[in-house]
Amino acid sequence: MQTPEDVISAQFTRRSLFGQSAMGLGSAALASLFGQQSQGEGISGNGLPHHTPKAKNVIYLFQNGGPSHVDLFDYKPELSRLKGEQIPESIVGKARFSTMTSGQTARPCLPEISKFAQHGQSGATVSDFMANTAKIADDLCFIKSMHTTQVNHAPAITFFLTGSEMPGRPSMGSWLTYGLGVESQNLPGFVVMTSRDKEASCGQIFYDFYWSSGFLPSKYQGVKFRGGGDPVLYLENPPGVSRNARRAMLDDLSALNRDTFSHVGDPEIQTRIAQYEMSYQMQMSVPELTDLSNEPENVLAEYGPDVRRAGSFAYNCIMARRLVERGVKFVQLLHAGWDQHRNLNTQLKVQCTDTDAPSAALVRDLKRRGLLDETLVIWGGEFGRTPFLQGKIEEIKSWGRDHHPYAFTVWMAGGGIKPGMTYGGSDDFGFKAVQDPVSVHDLQATILHLLGIDHTRLTFRFQGRDFRLTDVHGSVIKRILS
Amino acid sequence: MLHRTISQSTIRIAIGFILGLTVSTTTKAQQEQEHSRFSREILPILSDRCFTCHGPDSAKRKADLRLDQRDSALKSKAIVPGKASESELIARITSHDPDEVMPPPKLAKPLSPEQVETLKSWINAGAVWGQHWAWEKPVRPMIPKTVHSEWVKNPVDAFVLSRLESKSLQPQPEATRTELLRRVSLDLTGLPPSESEVSAFLNDNTPYAYEKLVDRLLASPRFGERMAWDWLDAARYADTNGYQGDGERTMWPWRDWVVQAFNNDMPFDQFTVNQIAGDLIPKAHPDQILATGFNRNHMINGEGGRIAEENRVEYVFDQTETTSTIWLGLTMTCARCHDHKFDPISKRDYYQLFSFFNQTPVSGSDGSGQSAPVLDMTTPQQQIQLRKASAAYNALLKVVLAKETKLREAGMVIKDGKYSTTLPVGIESTLRKGPNSRIPENDTELTNYYGKSQPEYLLQLQELRKLRQVRDTAASKMTRVMVMADSPKPRDTFALTRGTYDKLESKVSPRLLSAFINDPRTESKPEKSLNRLDLANWFMDPENPLTARVTVNRLWQMLFGMGIVKTTEDFGLQGQLPSHPELLDYLASEFQSPLNGSKPWSTKHIIRLILTSATYRQSASAPAESWSNDPENRLLGRGPRHRLPSWMIRDQALAISGLLTPAMGGPSVKSYQPTGIWEEATFGNKTYVQDHGDALYRRSLYLFWRRIVGPTIFFDSPNRQTCSVKSVITNTPLHALITLNDVTYVEAARVFAGNAIRHGGSTDALRAKWIFQKALVRSPNPNELQLMLKSLAKQRAIFQSDPTAAQSLIKTGESPPMTDLNAAEHAAWTQVCLMVLNLDETLSKP
Repeated sequence: MQTPEDVISAQFTRRSLFGQSAMGLGSAALASLFGQQSQGEGISGNGLPHHTPKAKNVIYLFQNGGPSHVDLFDYKPELSRLKGEQIPESIVGKARFSTMTSGQTARPCLPEISKFAQHGQSGATVSDFMANTAKIADDLCFIKSMHTTQVNHAPAITFFLTGSEMPGRPSMGSWLTYGLGVESQNLPGFVVMTSRDKEASCGQIFYDFYWSSGFLPSKYQGVKFRGGGDPVLYLENPPGVSRNARRAMLDDLSALNRDTFSHVGDPEIQTRIAQYEMSYQMQMSVPELTDLSNEPENVLAEYGPDVRRAGSFAYNCIMARRLVERGVKFVQLLHAGWDQHRNLNTQLKVQCTDTDAPSAALVRDLKRRGLLDETLVIWGGEFGRTPFLQGKIEEIKSWGRDHHPYAFTVWMAGGGIKPGMTYGGSDDFGFKAVQDPVSVHDLQATILHLLGIDHTRLTFRFQGRDFRLTDVHGSVIKRILS
Repeated sequence: MLHRTISQSTIRIAIGFILGLTVSTTTKAQQEQEHSRFSREILPILSDRCFTCHGPDSAKRKADLRLDQRDSALKSKAIVPGKASESELIARITSHDPDEVMPPPKLAKPLSPEQVETLKSWINAGAVWGQHWAWEKPVRPMIPKTVHSEWVKNPVDAFVLSRLESKSLQPQPEATRTELLRRVSLDLTGLPPSESEVSAFLNDNTPYAYEKLVDRLLASPRFGERMAWDWLDAARYADTNGYQGDGERTMWPWRDWVVQAFNNDMPFDQFTVNQIAGDLIPKAHPDQILATGFNRNHMINGEGGRIAEENRVEYVFDQTETTSTIWLGLTMTCARCHDHKFDPISKRDYYQLFSFFNQTPVSGSDGSGQSAPVLDMTTPQQQIQLRKASAAYNALLKVVLAKETKLREAGMVIKDGKYSTTLPVGIESTLRKGPNSRIPENDTELTNYYGKSQPEYLLQLQELRKLRQVRDTAASKMTRVMVMADSPKPRDTFALTRGTYDKLESKVSPRLLSAFINDPRTESKPEKSLNRLDLANWFMDPENPLTARVTVNRLWQMLFGMGIVKTTEDFGLQGQLPSHPELLDYLASEFQSPLNGSKPWSTKHIIRLILTSATYRQSASAPAESWSNDPENRLLGRGPRHRLPSWMIRDQALAISGLLTPAMGGPSVKSYQPTGIWEEATFGNKTYVQDHGDALYRRSLYLFWRRIVGPTIFFDSPNRQTCSVKSVITNTPLHALITLNDVTYVEAARVFAGNAIRHGGSTDALRAKWIFQKALVRSPNPNELQLMLKSLAKQRAIFQSDPTAAQSLIKTGESPPMTDLNAAEHAAWTQVCLMVLNLDETLSKP
């Protein structure tokens, strides 16, 4: 829900946009700002939305590195029973692993390093490392049968976010803003924010192709808000130039451009006038967005001690809420640090401490504000971690787990998702998704479905082929829809 | 109706020979019509709606029916020539039965009623088959007759005008001289005209003043710099490797080779052969080996845990696909995994092409940006310096590592089978990382924690950082350009299942694309002995239907903002049809074998031809209906007008302000960039150390390009990660923020303003005119002048009342402050100049 102030300020913004230029701006010029309204280039979605949407916005809390499902959500007593013993060959089969363990012949079962318990009326199994997430278990839907085809980080993340492991396809946020347009008049429709664990123990890079518009027009590319300094590059006026001086200059610039338009006739000039105006609006709306002074202390406290530290996961979580409140359609958070190859005992807990409270606080905060119903929240990484040990059982200090694409857990909440349920499951070792397996394309199809889009019909013609997010795969997971 | 007993091109050539170039015959016209009907109307429908299941891809073919080949279509009675009602194809596409109708409903690609009618009438007219236009080699077309032939300056115009006249449209009048001067200067040099050029051209009243201007600009060394940009985008040139480590490389000598090649108008056949196979030319000159750096510009993956062979195969994929996009205008990527769905490129074809590039000694395990084979351009002295610096660093590193192991062990506790540490978690993990992968914050943490207890260790750390800096500086001076070479023993090449490096299928040998082979020289060679030199020669062979067209189309795109074939990267069946097919073939023919005595494959010749046409010289101002009826200017009924590429906007601002450093070539430089960009993208592993002085004002071509995060001042620029031949022009508020707020533009504005005050004259009006003249090469109209003065008055009032603000603004950037000027005046004019640098007209080609 927008607050009344928001509605007024949005109207004011729109009015001032139209009002200030004597010629008035055509709606076509306005529509091209940040891709508002869906766009007819290529071949689009054949009448969007295809059905009544359940969700308006998406917040994707992407956990780079591969959170360990067997330590956090997918409780497997069998691993304790067989601790240190070789995981059965019948389970492993011909599975491929990263080169970090592909040469390792010993694959001893390693039980969870945390403690599991059941939580809420739904009785969801969650580890004590995720105490806050456990408390909102009845709002969440755990998918415990995710699987992917990729074993290395960059291709696996690219696959989750663009539907293909090779860089170059449009990311999910680009597809959604391309298909549905955005509401916000002074913020981009697709915003990306990144963070990493405090110790910077994990070197995963955030490649810009994770939020690329690929072959879609570049205005659908995710706008990355930076962690430090201006959240948007070049947002601040030059030294000595006040907002007043900029306003005066833009008015004259606009008048000169209108003079050019009057004899050249190129409609692109009108768009440019509007874009310069929008840049001025953003200089206000972005700092306002990041100003937390009106957030109640108790709300801030819920997000945890890092909430005021720009660039932290907690900060990004509260920003995500503020962004969707302001009409931003797709907020993509990426948090790196889940790659515990050799430091499971020390780093996993740290990683959970950094992310657990903020994630849970975000869901609660959205719910309190009545935004959860229309906002889909997704939490998960690009794969899970091996139920067996990477390293040697006697070298406790360097215990770890390798990348594991065959089974892992993702949770979703709000936006048309059935709360308080667990869907699918892995085998007794957490090795393979066996019950109702969910592929990456299935998850993507489901996300689009919740936004009112038939994933087979949102396409774009490029290099002679009609491309879509889910390639030629994917089916909607019907049973998790509310 | 003529049946197709001899090939279409033979007829065209024969007619061309017998009748010369101006006479046409009815037979030919009819033939031409049916032929072009197939390739322009029928083939696109079949390709788009049918070929997915009934096309070249043998694995996915349904019902054993091919609609891309006439025999198959006729034999199966899918098409009965002359009888649409008996053709199964028509029955299926018009069926209402969901099990019968084609394409199947689940593909969501139904045919429109118009498309059905088109197919019916084509079948009823005999279902004359043809071939995709781009697979036939271009033949010099006849120059069409036009009504207003007085407008025609050269053949380019005849093709454009005849199309306009067929739609009852007229071209726009010629642009003004100053517009032409600015347009052609930006197009050929990427810079506005110099003061001397402005007076030379405007004072030249001879009939061929414009043509002479074009020749002067083509001869300018700036021409090569301008042309190099687009080639670097295509060749995915960057100064680092990409991926996680994103280590540096020294490929800039290759970049300088490109600039020189364009400046010398190296014929495109040599330009091609040198870059693809310069190393294989007998007695190759070092410059020819340097040229092959082209195919080593791909990304290099140094990520831990990667399999060497997987990396290597990816590099070869990139080389194969980059080469085919640039020379053939074909998108080959899909054929990595399966036969191409639309174009006659089988998976086997793909890997045969792949095998040409699969012969280098590159291993895939070397993540360095100077991995062999390289052209070593270092001096012995540089080598000695680096050896010394590395030895010093490594010696101390050993000491530090030993110390840190001790520090960690001191904190270790193992209890109940679980391991923990008494050290703070941050310290423990920082120590574990080792000195090489720490970020600056980590060092601060260590300093704070060990400040009292381990002063000696902290001094060592400090010294280690210093030694690393010395080593890195020495290393950065070592210039080794990665180049191509073939191993003496050929490497076996296999088709790969889904492009997976270790899933080998059948063995293949180097072979040219089977759909296009017509070259007896290469056909007679045993397959095994074909190499990259044969491939390069085949690209440039007169029989190759694509290279010349694809190349002139890119030049057209550069000058008009959009190619004659809009899909610059795809000339295949799913690419767009050319807006002016004969014009494209005319230019291709002129490129291959010019009639006027110019040398073959001359890029400058083609550019000169286009720039001296009346088409190019049209005014870009046009009535509203021209813009609304033809927003993309596909009919070329007005002059080219589009926003300049962002790199050119930067160069232009530097030139207008007088800041531009004219130096050419050499290692890349680091100009202004907001703080923390590299650090954020690389987790603190790479620190941006900005250059100072002249380096700040070098042309954009010479800015250091970190592959995972390119210079932030550019927008709509390809990311230089993979080949890109398409120009992209968008219009977003983020672009406005850059050109309004980036220090480069603000500094340019304040120096521009200072010059206006010093040299522009004594009154506001004179200065305003001077500014307009400098930026736009024209005087302001009365309304514009009035707006400029009004703007000045407002800014003057603002800065007169706020001297501190004025002082801050006029100190922006590192060039010396102009202390002789009144601060408020200078600041007010700076705002006016920044406004002028941001005018739509300044940002656009006029």
